[in-house]
Amino acid sequence: MDMIGLYPTWFEPGVGSGWIVGLIATIHVLFSHTSVGAAIFFAYLANYAHHNQRPDLLDFIRRYGLFLLVFSYVLGSITGPGIWYSTTVASPRGISALIHNFVWMWATEWVFFVIEVVGVYMLVYLANKLDGKTYLKLSFIFGLTSYTTMLAIIGILSFMMWPGKQAWYAQGGFLNAFYGPNTFAQLGMRTAFMFTMTAVVGGIVAARFEDAAFKKEVASKLAWLGIGSAVAGAAMFQWYLSTLPETAALVMQNRLPGWFKPGVLGILAGTVAYFAMTLVQPRTLVSGGAAVMTVAMLVFGLWPEEVARESMRKPWVAGQYVYSNQVIGRDVPGMGIKSEIPLLEAHGFMKTQVFMPEHLRTITDGNRLEAGRVLALTTCSNCHSLSNTGIRPLKNYFTPENTVNDTAAYLQAALSTGNTLYMPQIPLKDDEALALATFIATLQGPVNPAMAVAQTLKKDPAQ
Amino acid sequence: MTPDMLHALRDPAGVPSHPLVFLVLGVLTFALHMAAVNVMLGTGALTLRGAFSPSAHWRRLAVAMLTTSKIAVSVAIVLGVAPLLFVQVVYDPFWYTSNVLSAWWVMGFIALLIAGYIALYVFYWKNHDIETEGAKGGVWLVLSLALLLAVGFIVHSLTNQMLFPENWMGWYAPQGVVKPDGHSLHYWNLPRFGFFIALSAPVTGAWLYAYRRYLQATAQPDATYLAWLLPLAKKLMLVGGVVAVLLGVVWMSTLPEKMAWFALSPMALIALLALLGTVALPLILKDRINQGLWGYAVFGMGAVALIVVGAAREVLRYVTLAGTHGYDALDYRINMDWYSTALFFTTFGVLGSVVLGYLLTVAWQAGQTQGTYSPSPALNRLGNLAIGLLGLWIVTYFGVGFFVWSR
Repeated sequence: MDMIGLYPTWFEPGVGSGWIVGLIATIHVLFSHTSVGAAIFFAYLANYAHHNQRPDLLDFIRRYGLFLLVFSYVLGSITGPGIWYSTTVASPRGISALIHNFVWMWATEWVFFVIEVVGVYMLVYLANKLDGKTYLKLSFIFGLTSYTTMLAIIGILSFMMWPGKQAWYAQGGFLNAFYGPNTFAQLGMRTAFMFTMTAVVGGIVAARFEDAAFKKEVASKLAWLGIGSAVAGAAMFQWYLSTLPETAALVMQNRLPGWFKPGVLGILAGTVAYFAMTLVQPRTLVSGGAAVMTVAMLVFGLWPEEVARESMRKPWVAGQYVYSNQVIGRDVPGMGIKSEIPLLEAHGFMKTQVFMPEHLRTITDGNRLEAGRVLALTTCSNCHSLSNTGIRPLKNYFTPENTVNDTAAYLQAALSTGNTLYMPQIPLKDDEALALATFIATLQGPVNPAMAVAQTLKKDPAQ
Repeated sequence: MTPDMLHALRDPAGVPSHPLVFLVLGVLTFALHMAAVNVMLGTGALTLRGAFSPSAHWRRLAVAMLTTSKIAVSVAIVLGVAPLLFVQVVYDPFWYTSNVLSAWWVMGFIALLIAGYIALYVFYWKNHDIETEGAKGGVWLVLSLALLLAVGFIVHSLTNQMLFPENWMGWYAPQGVVKPDGHSLHYWNLPRFGFFIALSAPVTGAWLYAYRRYLQATAQPDATYLAWLLPLAKKLMLVGGVVAVLLGVVWMSTLPEKMAWFALSPMALIALLALLGTVALPLILKDRINQGLWGYAVFGMGAVALIVVGAAREVLRYVTLAGTHGYDALDYRINMDWYSTALFFTTFGVLGSVVLGYLLTVAWQAGQTQGTYSPSPALNRLGNLAIGLLGLWIVTYFGVGFFVWSR
């Protein structure tokens, strides 16, 4: 019998793996955009210094560049693989799909990373050493290279939602997977955000200028850049929404919390207000304020955006063919990929899953609860916490009044066809549905039942 | 874990070029990564040794080594991304399983690396003039080195867990009960870890030879400092090299039964010869080390030796998984994608060579120049070409993208 290549499951009962991935991703986006923003701002300063005979500005870059540029760059470069690592353990087949479709684009991005790491240290350490023209060239190279890293990753991020072209399903190929309206809309959105971050981060630096006239000039430019890019970003976000699959739009309407839309509008208004304030009163531009604004962008702007993007692509995690529970949910003839649903319908999870203890492959009265726990780990835990805390706890979807048989019937009716919005198709065999329902019934218990069952069984494996 | 199970774990999308390409790139980039890691650790250790020394030469060296170590952290991280990418392409069943089984350590890797990096910078921020004032806050440097070693140990363990599919179910479901917490590292081999870490000594010795040669080319080289560096480089090279080789021998003697064939295999012996050849090179060169470009030859030879060691490590993995477990990395289904393959190799070979060639030449020459540095007209043209190629890459990206979007 064929098997389906589901990996072991990592279950984090406290906050859930999804939140950990989201946290690392958000921090990465903050650092990487800050790094690019700082690079662009320093390129501007270098250009200004060169054309206006202001070597003091190059000193300035050296003093403050180290922190902003190197620190944000290196932390961005650590948290970048951090996203790989966290998604690897939370969603191995999701990251695998991205790796195997886009390995060469990722490798191409790596070439730009290498250029960046050389460039970033040269920018800082050679600020007083190189002549103006050469430093300017270096700044351009670093700025352009930083932007190419965004160009390289954007089509991959877009593919997480869906392929650039629907033709990819029939024809395969990198180009169909990478390029499409969603790619460019997201690129526009992130480019605008990058410039907003440039304006915010530039403020941290510009606040330290001692030359009042120059500070006013820079503050004004940054403010206009910030206002313009924030408004452009909002427009791009609207464009982005229009490029989403129908399911994502439905999820947005039905599943995102009520505060999401006013929250996004609030951070937009707050951003514009902040820049308007620094435009009218440059003395309000202080490093602490700009730093607070940077953190505010993280907490109120990036975090909801990342959470929304994560929610909207459900039930898929990659290319609308890998389900969030890692099962391949549709055929992709262009890549020779076959849906695993027919195999599951024929034989079920217990018989076909690679990482399944042999004694659970056949469900009995004696192992039903443990089989149900393993099924819940496999089919549910990626999106639903099996404990009382974490992301969308499974127990919240059932009540103590539900009998095991009711729950089993519900699971089969709601999940076997794949017609439930944002839920994967999960074709449970009768005994599997009963086992999962038996486990779900225990979730109404005291604390962390998923782990408690494991502990109990560990003490008495014969149970 | 049967071969069928391992094959079922493979990604159904296949790979976009022949698997051998990924294996070769994996070996090359792993060697580069290890070189950066070894330099990072070795120069960090020299900083610790020198920064608190009463000797002016030691403190001067510590300043240079601290800068080197800081940059080497970044370089090691960036260069490490490539082998991390390539291992996932052809060994995905093994890498992903190993990672999931130790999930918290995988996450811990990131946290510890960030902490180690920050600790290194805290030491730097506390010490702006080590050369004249000496150093303080050594605990931060010790902490940084300890954290960076811990990070290395985590990757060592993850890499080794890959090689034991027969143990995976036992690790995932001890006594048949699934334990999905990812709390544990399940396997390590201290001699193997020690071998790769001990390589830091000879690699840093080779680095010192190159550093010394670089200083010789400056306008006013400090002869006494250069003379002081020479025995230090030699000692690191010889003593460190012998210690590393001995640890390598211990590793070979502790190989599990299924890998025992490797200890006396041609590949292991070639790697041994490459290492011994590198260690012996300064002795062979004698005074020629001060002539021409020979001062750089030791590091060059060391880089070749690391590639050979990396290749041997890959042979051990490939043959073990193919021979004992029936998983041949080279028979991965190919879904050839010419565009993205060409995109990488063009970017790597043409754009990467030109841009990095320009940057590194500028950095190299600027470091040897007193006062403001201005490149030659030819180098300026190379810089213009670098910017032009980056522009061309971006234009091509959008040109192809809009064409694909519109068709």
